[in-house]
Amino acid sequence: MLKNRNLTWLLMVLCLGIFASGCGDKTEAESALYQCPMKCKGEKTYDVPGSCPVCKMDLEKLSSEDAGPVLADGEVSDESIFHLTSQWHTQNNEVITLKELQGEVLVVVMIYTSCQAACPRLVADMRNIHAAVQDESVRYIMVSIDPETDTPERLKEFAIANEMDNPQWTFLQGSVDDVREFSNVLAVKYRKITPLDFSHSNIISVFDQKGVLQFQQEGLGVDNKQIVAKVKELIS
Amino acid sequence: MMRRTSTILLGLVLMASTGLGQGSPTMTVIQGGAFVPLYGSDSAEVAVAEFELDIYPVTNAEFLAFLSENPKWQRSQALRLFADGNYLAQWAGDAELGTGMDPAAPITSISWFAAKAYCACEDKRLPTMDEWEYVAMASPTAANAQADSVFNQWIIEGYETPNTARKKVGGNFANFWGIHDMHGLVWEWTSDFNSVLISGESRKDNDLDTSLFCAAGAVGASDLMNYAAFMRYAFRGSIKANFSVRTLGFRCARNVEK
Amino acid sequence: MKIAETIKRVLGVSSIVLMLALAACSSPEGQGQHVDSKEIYTNGTMKAELTSPPFVPAPVGDRDAKQLTVDMEILEEVGEMTDGVQYVYWTFGGSVPGSFIRTRVGDEIEFTLKNHPDNKLPHNIDLHAVTGPGGGATSSFVAPGHQITFSFKALNPGLYVYHCATAPVGMHIANGMYGLILVEPEGGLPPVDREYYIMQGDFYTKGKYGAPGLQPFDMNKAIAEAADYVVFNGKVGSMTGDNALTANVGETIRLFVGNGGPNLVSSFHVIGEIFDRVNVEGGSLINENVQTTLIPSGGAAIVEFKVDVPGTFIIVDHSIFRAFNKGALAMLKVTGPEDKRLYSGKEQEGIYLPEGGTIQTMPGEVPVAPEASSVEDRIEMGRRVYAQTCLACHQPEGQGLANAFPPLAGSDYLNADVERAIKIVIFGKTGEMTVNGATYNSVMTAQTLTDEEIANVMTFVYNSWANNKTEVTPALVAKVRSSH
Repeated sequence: MLKNRNLTWLLMVLCLGIFASGCGDKTEAESALYQCPMKCKGEKTYDVPGSCPVCKMDLEKLSSEDAGPVLADGEVSDESIFHLTSQWHTQNNEVITLKELQGEVLVVVMIYTSCQAACPRLVADMRNIHAAVQDESVRYIMVSIDPETDTPERLKEFAIANEMDNPQWTFLQGSVDDVREFSNVLAVKYRKITPLDFSHSNIISVFDQKGVLQFQQEGLGVDNKQIVAKVKELIS
Repeated sequence: MMRRTSTILLGLVLMASTGLGQGSPTMTVIQGGAFVPLYGSDSAEVAVAEFELDIYPVTNAEFLAFLSENPKWQRSQALRLFADGNYLAQWAGDAELGTGMDPAAPITSISWFAAKAYCACEDKRLPTMDEWEYVAMASPTAANAQADSVFNQWIIEGYETPNTARKKVGGNFANFWGIHDMHGLVWEWTSDFNSVLISGESRKDNDLDTSLFCAAGAVGASDLMNYAAFMRYAFRGSIKANFSVRTLGFRCARNVEK
Repeated sequence: MKIAETIKRVLGVSSIVLMLALAACSSPEGQGQHVDSKEIYTNGTMKAELTSPPFVPAPVGDRDAKQLTVDMEILEEVGEMTDGVQYVYWTFGGSVPGSFIRTRVGDEIEFTLKNHPDNKLPHNIDLHAVTGPGGGATSSFVAPGHQITFSFKALNPGLYVYHCATAPVGMHIANGMYGLILVEPEGGLPPVDREYYIMQGDFYTKGKYGAPGLQPFDMNKAIAEAADYVVFNGKVGSMTGDNALTANVGETIRLFVGNGGPNLVSSFHVIGEIFDRVNVEGGSLINENVQTTLIPSGGAAIVEFKVDVPGTFIIVDHSIFRAFNKGALAMLKVTGPEDKRLYSGKEQEGIYLPEGGTIQTMPGEVPVAPEASSVEDRIEMGRRVYAQTCLACHQPEGQGLANAFPPLAGSDYLNADVERAIKIVIFGKTGEMTVNGATYNSVMTAQTLTDEEIANVMTFVYNSWANNKTEVTPALVAKVRSSH
C-alpha cells in the first residue's frame, strides 16, 4: 500500500517536473513556428522544422513578427493603442488615458448621441454582442465623434436611456483632434454634414487585452457570429 | 554625436540654399472665401476661414532635421501603430536620405501621424481637406479655376507623369495665392482626409450603400466633370493614416493670429 | 423454341442495357441539366499561371476544381504606342491587355491585388466572372505600395473581361487596365492545336494619330468617343511582321478575343478565314460558319477555325478605317504545304485569254501574222507568247511549281530533245515524267498556237534561263506536227 502511494507521488512529481521544464521550452518553441510555403494545409503551422506532409517541401520559418511577439507582462507591442497619449472624459466625468483600459478585451464603436439613422442600430448590435458573449472581462466602449455636443452629462443621459449605465459600458468624450486621431487608428471615416449630423462608417472593432486591434465588423445588423467568436477566443 | 550635428548643419545649409531659411517667408495668408467642393453635402457651398499655408511642401532636408530632434519618429523607432512597413523605406538609414534623393525634393513615404507630429513641432497643423482643395482650385491667374478645362487637363497629365516626386519643390508656377506645387509634384496629407466616404468602387459611389456609411445618402459628388479632383478624392479614400506612400507628402497650415 | 426464347430474352435485355448506357453517356450539359456550381467541391490548392499576351496558360483539362491563388501586380509605366509615340500605360501585370487568367468552374480563387509603390494612383479590379458586389471592386481598392486580398468562387463558365473600376473609371480603362479571365467548363474546352489571346482597345491622345512624343490621355476625346488609336494588344503592330501569330497548315486555332473598349464595339474578322465555331459573346451559345463577329465593349468572344492553306491572314476590326488608319490590324502567318484545290496561291496578273491565248479572228478575215526576221525578234515575240500562254503554270522565270508543273529553266528534259518538246506543245502531255530529278504527274493541254508562235515561244524558252540556246523554226514545228 505504502509503496504504491510513494510510487504515485513519485510519478506525480516527475510529471510535474517534466511539465515545468517543458513549459519553459514550449514558450521558446512557440515563438518559432513553421509553415508550408505552398500552404498545402491552409494556415496550419508546425512547432518544429521539417517537411510538408502533402508536397514534401521544406517548411519555412515564420518570422516572429508573423507569429506574434512574445511580450512580458505589462509590455505592449508596436501596434497597441495604449501608445496614444490622448486624454478622455467618461460619462462619469473621470479623466482617463486608454492605457488604463489594459487587461480587458475591448469592443469599440464610434457614434454620436443625436444620431437618428444608423447609430441606434449600431448600439443594438453592440447589445447583441454583449448578450452573446456574457462575460465580465469584456468592456464595451462608445466613443463620440461629436465631442462638442456629447459632453459627459449628455453621455450619461444616453447611457441611462439605453440601459447601459454600468461599469461594463464606457462612453468617451475627447478633444476634436484626439477623436480624429483615434478614428484614424480604427480606420473609421466620418464627416460633419450639417451642424447636427455626421456621416460615418459603421464599424465595430475588437482589441485584445494588450490593446492590439484583432477584428473589425463593418455594416449594420450584420450576423455577429464571427465577432462573438473572436471575443470569446480572446478572453479564453 | 558629430554625425548628428553635421546632419543638422547640412540640413540648415540646404534649407538656406533653397531659400527656405529663416530670412524668406515660408507661409502665406490665404483669404477666406467659399466654394463648392467635389465631395460635399448636396452641392452646398463651404466656407473657408482665413488661414496661413506653407508655400512649398515639406522637403527631405526639413524632415531630416525634424528627425534628429525627434528620434522617436526615425524609421527604426517609429511604432507600427503610427507608421506601416513602407515608412521611409527608401532612406539609407535612420538619418540618411536614400541614394539619389534630392534634399530639396518633397518628403514622401511618411504617414499621417508623422506628418501631424512634424506640423505640431512647428506650432502648425495639417490643413483641412476643404482648405487644401480651396487653394488647389486656383490657377496662376484665377482663385477659382474649377471650370478651366485646360487647367484641369494639365493637372490630369501631371497625375500620369511618372516620378514627379523626385523633383525639387518650387519648380512649377506659383498659383493665384503664391503657393507652389499644389499640383504636379506629390499627393498631400490633410488633417481630415478620412472624411471621404467612398468605397472605391466608383460606380457605386453615386449611390452610397447606407449600410456601410451612416447618413451616407447625403454625401455625393457635385461636379462629375472635375476629374482631377475626382482622382484626388479617390486617392484619399484608398489610404489609411498609418500608410506611407512614395508619391504622398504634405505641407503645414496655421490659424491666423487675430 | 428454346433458342427463340433465349434470343428474345437476350435482345430484350441488351436493348434495355443499351438504352441505359445511352442515357448515362449523354452529357448533362447536352440535356440542358446543370450541376449547381455553388456546390462544386474543391480538391487541393494551386497557384494560377499568368501569361502575357498573346499567349495563354495551359488548358485546365479534366482537373478538379481547386483553391486557386492569383497574384496580380499593377504597374504604371511608359510604353510605345507606335514608332516615335509614347504613352503612359496603366497595366495589370505589366502588359496591355493584362495577364490572362485561366480557371475552371468551381475554382475558389484567392485574388491578391498589388499596387506597385512607384505608382501614383489607387486602383482596384472588377472581374466580370465574379458574382459579388462590384465584381470584386469594392473589396480590392488599394493604395500604391500596398496589397489587398479577396476571394470568390467561379460559378459560370465563359470568357470574361476584367478591368479597373476606380474613379474616373473611363480613364483607368482607357489607359489599358483590362484583361481576360477564362472560366473553363468541367472537363475543359475541347482541345485545339493552338490558342492565342487578343484584346482590342481604343486610345485617346492629346495629339492626333502618329503625333510624336509622350502623348497624354485626352478626356474630351474620350467622352466624344473620337479615338486616335484602335489597336490589338495595346499598341500598333503588336502582332505584325516578326511579332505575327504563327501556325501550321492543318492546325485548329482558337482565339480568345476581348474588347476592353472603353468605347468602341469590335467587328472582328480574319481575312481569308471563316470561323468554324464562335462562342457568341464568350458564353455558351455556339454559332458556326461566321465571317465577322461582334464583340461588345467590355465583352469577349471565342473563335475557332482550322487553317487549311498557308499564307498571311490579316486580323482586323472590320470597321475598316480602324484597321488601316488607326492600327486595328494583326497577322496570323500560316506555313505549310499548299492545296491548290482549295486555293491556288499565286496572285498573278495575267491577261485572260481563253483557248490558250491565240489570236481570234472573225470568219472571212485573215490577218497577216507578223513574222520574225531574226533570232532576237523571235525571242522578243516569243516572250510575249510565253507571258500570255505559258507563264501561269511554268512561272515568270521558268521555275515551274513544285509537285505541279515542271520547270523550263535549266531543264534536263527540255534540253535533251527539242522535237519532243515541240510535240508536247502541239499535242499536250499527260502521265508521269521526271525533270531535274523531280517527278511530275500532271496534265498539259494542247496549245492552240500557230507554227510561228510555237517557234517563237520555244526559241524564247531555249534562249532563256541557262537553256541550250536552240532556235526553233516554224518549219521544224510544221514537221513535228505533220509527223504525228
